[in-house]
Amino acid sequence: MSRDPLTLGQVIGDVLDPFSRSVSLGVLYKNKVVINGSDFKPSAVVDKPKVEVGGDDLRTFYTLVMVDPDAPNPSNPTLKEYLHWLITDIPATTNACFGRELVCYESPRPTAGIHRMVFVLLRQMGRGTVFAPQMRHNFSTRRFALQYHLASVAATYFNCQREAGTGGRRFRGDD
Amino acid sequence: MWSLEQPDNGHKNKSGTNRNSNSGNNRVLSSSSSSRSSPSSNTSILIPQTPRRRTMEEVWKDITLSTFHQERPITPLDHHIYHHHHHANSSPSFKGMILQDFLTGPLNRPLPVSQTVVEQLPLPPHPSPALPETALSLNSGLEFQYLGPDATNSHSNSSSSGHNASFISSAFSSVAVGPPSPTGLFSLCSKKRLQENPAIGVDRHHKRMIKNRESAARSRARKQAYTNELELEISNLKEENAKLKKQYEELRLAIGNSLPKRNPLRRSTTAPF
Repeated sequence: MSRDPLTLGQVIGDVLDPFSRSVSLGVLYKNKVVINGSDFKPSAVVDKPKVEVGGDDLRTFYTLVMVDPDAPNPSNPTLKEYLHWLITDIPATTNACFGRELVCYESPRPTAGIHRMVFVLLRQMGRGTVFAPQMRHNFSTRRFALQYHLASVAATYFNCQREAGTGGRRFRGDD
Repeated sequence: MWSLEQPDNGHKNKSGTNRNSNSGNNRVLSSSSSSRSSPSSNTSILIPQTPRRRTMEEVWKDITLSTFHQERPITPLDHHIYHHHHHANSSPSFKGMILQDFLTGPLNRPLPVSQTVVEQLPLPPHPSPALPETALSLNSGLEFQYLGPDATNSHSNSSSSGHNASFISSAFSSVAVGPPSPTGLFSLCSKKRLQENPAIGVDRHHKRMIKNRESAARSRARKQAYTNELELEISNLKEENAKLKKQYEELRLAIGNSLPKRNPLRRSTTAPF
């Protein structure tokens, strides 16, 4: 019985509550499309991706959030979630360049384990209604959405691990 | 690798007592061994092998004598992970058992006598008080060499250091079949650890097991999510493809119908005048 990849990857659960996808979201890193669960090396995601937003009305504005719910370690995510990027006031049918970058893009550099890097597209009530948080770490997309009256309309994620891979057990006190 | 080289260095050091007079090859080896075996505790194990051997054989006798009297109550006393039989009864962790069996496998073959001693050894913590002292002195050398930072790090898993020690011991036993000293070292290693943290060792093992299970579950979920995503993509693309093909056919037909209507008044051939 195949289920939704977002649910299987526990993005719906750890980051978001179930929602219905109503707007298309396309994320491209150097012309490689991000699909749920695809793998990207840190070297491939150094620069910010191209983000294309669907929808139909230019007067509708969206916020894009990029978080890491597995920071610093998937088995012990004490910094969950870590905010990598925050753009607001993206008009529908355009891309992220048309928005306001409130939190600049920080390239993922996971040190331990395989991290999910989640993009969430949220519809705003109106223009200029969203503000940046104080800190990147311990961000909560749910809380953020509640605070600024945002509704999730799309999400996607990819997996990222250290450049050389995370295979094997390393002898350090990472309990 | 490190452990396998040790006996060789020990032999070399034993044979070439006067290092300066060795040939070039031996000099390189002895110098490298001297650089490696700079901590005195390490050389104390291998170089003066004869006096150390005596001590260990004494200890060995102690072990066999003491455990000989207590052969019966094996299962109730032991809680250590090295005793894999009891571990099988206590918790059905297949991975742990298989790993333990595998690691103590090489020990089983060459030294059947010592194996029984190894099994019985972790049990009686009391009868031979002389043991912990020697165990400490031996293990400080062994652990200091092989475990490095982990020996000092109190957070390191007993299972990880245990696997370390058992891997080293299996390497030892594969190299040195005759003398019981490597297995003695191994058993004394396990003995020391048992004395230090019997309950904590099991705790850490359990924690590690749980973490491993979670990690495995995450890995499975990740794989499943990606597979499903790809399947969805495939079905989407197939749908799109079918739609586009249909559209193409329709357009082609539409154009095909409209094209042949050439102007009937146009000349098809030109007259010579």
